[in-house]
This record gives sequence, C-alpha cells and structure tokens, in this order.
Amino acid sequence: MISVQKLSKQFDGKVILRGLDCEIAKGEKVVILGPSGSGKSTLLRCMNLLEIPDGGEVWFDGKLVTAPDPALHPGMSRSALKAFRAEHGLDEDAARARMGMVFQHFNLFANMTVLQNLTLAPVELGRKTAAEAEETALTLLDRVGLTDKKDEYPARLSGGQKQRIAIVRALCMEPEALLFDEPTSALDPEMVGEVLDVMKDLAKGGMTMAVVTHEMGFAREVADRVLFMDDGSITEEGTPAEVFGSPKTERARDFFRKVL
Amino acid sequence: MNFAEKLVELFSTEKYILPFLEGLKMTLVISLGASLLGLVLGIVVALVQIAPKSKAMAVPKIITSVYVTVIRGTPMALQLIIMAFGILAIKGFPLTVTAILAFGINSGAYVSENIRGGILSVDIGQTEAGRALGLSRGTTMRKIVIPQAIKNVLPSIGNELIALIKETSIVSMIGMYDLTMAAKDVGSGSKLASYVVPMTAAAVFYLAIVYLITFGIKLLEKRLRAGDKRSKTV
Ligand SMILES: Nc1ncnc2c1ncn2[C@@H]1O[C@H](COP(=O)(O)OP(=O)(O)O)[C@@H](O)[C@H]1O
Ligand SMILES: [Mg+2]
Repeated sequence: MISVQKLSKQFDGKVILRGLDCEIAKGEKVVILGPSGSGKSTLLRCMNLLEIPDGGEVWFDGKLVTAPDPALHPGMSRSALKAFRAEHGLDEDAARARMGMVFQHFNLFANMTVLQNLTLAPVELGRKTAAEAEETALTLLDRVGLTDKKDEYPARLSGGQKQRIAIVRALCMEPEALLFDEPTSALDPEMVGEVLDVMKDLAKGGMTMAVVTHEMGFAREVADRVLFMDDGSITEEGTPAEVFGSPKTERARDFFRKVL
Repeated sequence: MNFAEKLVELFSTEKYILPFLEGLKMTLVISLGASLLGLVLGIVVALVQIAPKSKAMAVPKIITSVYVTVIRGTPMALQLIIMAFGILAIKGFPLTVTAILAFGINSGAYVSENIRGGILSVDIGQTEAGRALGLSRGTTMRKIVIPQAIKNVLPSIGNELIALIKETSIVSMIGMYDLTMAAKDVGSGSKLASYVVPMTAAAVFYLAIVYLITFGIKLLEKRLRAGDKRSKTV
C-alpha cells in the first residue's frame, strides 16, 4: 500500500533520513520505534509530503506520490521522467486524502466545533454532501462515545477526547491507510487507554496503519511488524516478538531496556 | 449665549446641522469604502508575502514589499494629494472614489502587516492538519488559518479602522466636503462665526463613530472567541 524507496532528507545540512526503504502492505499494522530525534516523525511526514524528501520516492497504492527520483530511474531522460510522473503519479492532495494522519498534538481546528472539524474535508473535497458527511460523522462519533460533544469547540475537550475526535476526523475521509505520530505522547496517563482502544478497534477492522509510539504494550498486541529506527535508518525489523525478544543492535537493546 | 447653548443651537438649527450631516455622510462613505478596500488589499498582500518562495511569486513579492514600504514610509496627506492631482487626475474621475482609493491603499499596507503577523501566529499544526486531510493550500487558508488569524488581529484591525476614520479628516485638502470641512464651513463668518463650537460638534461626531466601532469590534471579538474558552461562564 505504502512503499518508501531510498528516502533521504536533510534539515539545515543535518542528515535526518539516510536513504531508507520500507513497505507497508494493505491491512498491515507497522509500529515504528526509536529514540527521540531518530527521524520517525520525518519518515511519516515524508510519506504524506508534509515534508518534501530530498531524494528517494514514496509510492501509494502503486502510484508515485513524490517527484520521480532520477537516481532511481537511471537512463531516463528528463522528459521521460515527466511522462513517467504523468502516467504513474498521484497528486499530493489526492494522496493525502486517501492516507489520514493523526498528530501528537491533535491539531483539531480551533475555530470549528467538533462536527465542523469532522465534516469540513469530506464536504470541501466534494466527497459527500453536508448531510451525508454529518451522518457519517455522527456514526463515527458514536463509535468513540463522543456524540454529546458534537457542538463543542476543541478548547473545551480533554486531551483524550481531542485525540479520539482527531482520529474520527481522519476516518471521515474514509482513508485507506492511517499514519499516527505519537498519538498518546501528549496525553495524561489516564487518557492513553481510551485512545489506544480506538486504535485497536481500527486495527481489528483491517485498517492499514503506520504508528510511531512508545507504547510497547500496543506494539506487542497490534503490530504485525515493528521497525526500529536509529539515526535516520531502520536498524531492526521483524515481528514484535523478534525485535523485542532478541534485538540485534546494542542501540535497540539499550532503548528497550529503558522503555520496557 | 454660552458654549453649551451654542452647541444646542447648532444641533437644532437646520442650516447648521444639515451641512454637518452631509459631511458626516461623506466621512462615512470614504471610511467604509477605504476600510473594505484596505481589508481586501491587506489580506491579499499578506497572502502574497507569506506564500512560499517560487518563481511565480517572485515579482508579486517584490511589488507588495515595495508597496508596503512606500505607503508606510510617506505621509498620508502627500499620498492623497499625489493621488488626487497626479495619478488619478483624470477629467471627471469622481473625487469620492479618489479618496476611497487613496485611504484604502494606505490602510491596506498597515492591515497587511497586521494580518501577516496574525497568520504567522496561527499554530502550524492547524495548516498541517488541513493539508493532511487533502485540503488544498487555498482551502486550508480560507477555512482554517485566516478565520483564526482575523480573530487574533481583530483588535489591531479595529485600531487601524479608527485611525483611518480620523485620518479622513484631511480630505478637505483636495476640496472634499467631509465632517471636518462641514465644521469649518459652519464656523465660517457667513454662518455661526465661531470655530470652537462646530469643531467641538464635529469632535463629538467622530467620537460617536469611533465608540460605535469599538463596540462593534468587541461584539465581533466575543462571537469569534466562542471557541476559545474552556467553560461557557469564564
Ligand atoms: N522542520 C525541521 N527543521 C529543522 N530540523 C528538523 C525539522 N524537523 C525535524 N528536525 C530535526 O530532525 C531530527 C529528527 O526529527 P524527528 O523526525 O522529529 O525525530 P523523531 O520523531 O524520531 O523524534 C531532529 O533532530 C529534529 O531536530
Ligand atoms: Mg517525533
């Protein structure tokens, strides 16, 4: 579903992603772990082009989301690359509409009520009429138990409520994959569970998920595959049992000792 | 007759009050037109200035930055005269339109700086959330960022509006009959033969307008801040 090839990214001359590859299959749940600053957020943000990679490609459902990387298509002329993009490319807005994102700090639209947050994108993008969008939104809100908050503004909600609504907002676009960037890291401990429960439900429902988190319990329970990132590369990869049970690198062993 | 009695006489005598109302109307027309033009210009200029650098935006960025620099760096009175007797000195071009253009263009430069600051003060996470849903840059700006920016800058835009209204009192320089000109006219020898009373009356009118606007802005602010408060009572 999502394929990342030779992805590289620098900020101010500092290398953040070192040409990494990763594949996320349809319906797969991948948990990405790693120390702070290792490039986990940057990887997710490059997948939906919130950051523009310096090199490499991101493919979504067989379509190229980034500009074609000449290094990955040796021998192709400029015009051939252009034609390649025209044939296999996917417009960034279209790609984002099909791949939702949940942020650490929720980012609910502060100037809108919950319901407006949920219906804005589907209506603006012509996916649904206002009535249809509202119906979907209310159904999904009910599923996370927040129907009574539909007319509230985000400022009046708890962190856990905000994050559950942020997840619903992404779901209202009926995405084919969801990216989570530390969805519970900004929450008070007692609210972490309610958000993880929603995510577990989604996982059961077959959603394709890439989740950056420090919640090891969640990773163990939900992940089909765990990626461990260190200094801009994926250094460990496998099932949770493999990666947690017998990490190959000292860095990963160290990290798991601290967080487990 | 003491001062207060004269003031009452002014407000109750048709030949005095009618010119005032005519002048008031002109002041309001110029202020309203100019503030709307200023707001639109200000938003457009701010959007150009915060747009990401690109080939297509290079020239607009230079133009807007020259515009803001020149307008903010020169006196309003000179801008008005240059517009009226220079750039827009086309035969038959209505003076009212000239004044609205001159004050609107002036106001736009100041408003753009306010709005630019307001847009930059909106959390980048709001934009990212909008874009991550597949909304275009334009839609994200229009539906999410600008409403929050306007709310943030409403007080300073209100101040701009108030400054603009008072500044329009110089239009008599290009021969227009506004509230201040009406006061001079009524105070001249042929009418009341005193400047202090009509000038005071004009001041009262300006004060009333400014007060109404302050009140309106406060109301608007309260409405726009509906989403800010954690509880409905505080
Ligand atoms: N927009 C940015 N500008 C400059 N440096 C950045 C930016 N975003 C991230 N970085 C830097 O990139 C590194 C990796 O960041 P990030 O991907 O957020 O790591 P992680 O999510 O694993 O903690 C950090 O050192 C961070 O300071
Ligand atoms: Mg991060």
